[in-house]
Amino acid sequence: MSGVDPVRPGPLLGTAPNPDAALSVRGLTKRFGSFTAVDGIDFDVPRGQIFGFLGPNGSGKTTTIRMLTGTSGANAGAALVLGEDVLSHPERVKKRFGYMSQKFALFEDLTVEENLRFYAGVYDLSAEEFAKQRAYVLAMADLRGRENELTANLSVGWRQRLALGTATIHQPELLFLDEPTGGVDPVARRHFWDLLYDLASRGVTLFVTTHYMDEASHCNQLAFIYRGGLIAEGRRTTFAAT
Amino acid sequence: MRSLSRIGAVTAKEFIHLLRDRRTLAVVLALPVLQMLLFAYAISFDVKNVATVVIDLDKTPASQAYVSSYESSDFFTVVGTGDDLAAVDGVFDHNQALIAVVVPSGFGRSLAAGEKGSVAVYLDGSEPTAARVGQAFSTALNQVYSQQVTIRWADAQGLDVTAAGQLEPRVRTWYNPEKRSSDYLIPGLMVVIIMVVAVQQTAVSLVREREQGTDEQLAISPMRRWEMMLGKVAPWTLLAFLELAVVTAVGMWFFDLPLRGSIGVLALGAALFVFCSLGLGLVISAVAPSLETANMLGLLLSILPAFILSGFAFPLSSIPGWLQVVSCLFPARFMVTITRGVFLKGAGLAELWPEIAALGAYAVVVIAVAIVLTRRRR
Repeated sequence: MSGVDPVRPGPLLGTAPNPDAALSVRGLTKRFGSFTAVDGIDFDVPRGQIFGFLGPNGSGKTTTIRMLTGTSGANAGAALVLGEDVLSHPERVKKRFGYMSQKFALFEDLTVEENLRFYAGVYDLSAEEFAKQRAYVLAMADLRGRENELTANLSVGWRQRLALGTATIHQPELLFLDEPTGGVDPVARRHFWDLLYDLASRGVTLFVTTHYMDEASHCNQLAFIYRGGLIAEGRRTTFAAT
Repeated sequence: MRSLSRIGAVTAKEFIHLLRDRRTLAVVLALPVLQMLLFAYAISFDVKNVATVVIDLDKTPASQAYVSSYESSDFFTVVGTGDDLAAVDGVFDHNQALIAVVVPSGFGRSLAAGEKGSVAVYLDGSEPTAARVGQAFSTALNQVYSQQVTIRWADAQGLDVTAAGQLEPRVRTWYNPEKRSSDYLIPGLMVVIIMVVAVQQTAVSLVREREQGTDEQLAISPMRRWEMMLGKVAPWTLLAFLELAVVTAVGMWFFDLPLRGSIGVLALGAALFVFCSLGLGLVISAVAPSLETANMLGLLLSILPAFILSGFAFPLSSIPGWLQVVSCLFPARFMVTITRGVFLKGAGLAELWPEIAALGAYAVVVIAVAIVLTRRRR
């Protein structure tokens, strides 16, 4: 940890996880053999926040998301997602959160419509729900009139917005975004953040990982992770002042 | 109910993938017909018209009569004659003939004297099947010919040999009396085709989802692993059945393949076999790090065992003992027994239940292994 302050015991250390928060993490640890990928991190994300999870590549961001979304177990610690213990019962909360990664997770040989329909089926949406969400996503992503276009033919910005649409087709209360703006040009990035603000304004909690420091300014709460440990955590104004 | 919606979503999506990928679809549908034509015509194990060279060093009426018996036979085609033994080497080296028959000088004199005449038959051993069959026919032909000679000689001597007891074996081949190799090959070939398509496609499909990131997306969704697998294998099960029907139809119409046994048992065996192959494909996709590796492993683990370790090309009894044990690791050997049994022997559940049971057990085990392996990846 040369050049970085050692992790100081935070105010949350040893407290009970908060069931009212969108996310509440205590002492979360993940080891791969002798390598500790995530080392006893603590944080709370109140509902409706845009939480920026910052750190360089390989610092443990994605591993943390995997544990919080129930796709990877933890070696120690507790994690409440929307008040549910996601480490032992991920299936209880999976329908209530969404996830979008840099890879966009779209089927390129399927049309816009077919991609939406597939994810609607995955989340078991009723016909009415699907009709409503389809209209919303097409408007949001500016894809009206292009429903029957193959996803492969869309430019990156459109694909990114469609990916956001499929990731939110089930109207999640909490959305994990793992480096969602990687490989996208600055204009499309700004447009994308406008959409994220719109989601946040409707009460959706956003958990965004990034290694772009400028994107931190979009968040109202930040945490810095380095080599598996949290090195700083707090409201954005705190960091802006220092 | 929710499972049904999710499985349906995956199946619908897989069908779209399939219909949109025209090239794969064309290959999948044309491959069986193409393979059948290739195998049934080109790679026939029937031996006919074996190129033969005749070297008559005797040049008597007796030797010429003997040589003409080769010319009039269906199994041999006399492609040339020679004047000395050294010609054999040249003919074999240039692949002009597989068999050389040499009649030594003195052949006619020996026969006339009532002695045993001898001829030499040389075989090109570098093509063992043709050589073995050629040898058998040549021996038979010599026997028939020497019998005629004997009878003629006895006649000339005023003896009645027909009264003398002669032992004559009568060999009958059941199920395939004409020993047509297409009858023997096509039931095995359909196993190979189904296995290649099913293993290959599923092996590739999960790896592709991983590379696209959709696998991760679905792992985070409420979709369960088994729902995704079931949704994925459903379209390929249907396609495999379609292929089975095509191969059966082509086999029956063009190659007069008999269908003597129960179609129900064939369908049951095929369904289980398809699940076994799909499971094997899923295991490959769970361990393969990239699309290329999945492709290679899929080919290797489907074609090789289906050809070599199934009894399709070589009888299982003729491969080494440890390989026979290895062959049980692949479902093809059980299915080849089932297709041959149903098509050629008219077998039903009463005869084939051990193979059906083996396939059922295999399907359960291999799909369980696939689910465990894909889970362990994360």
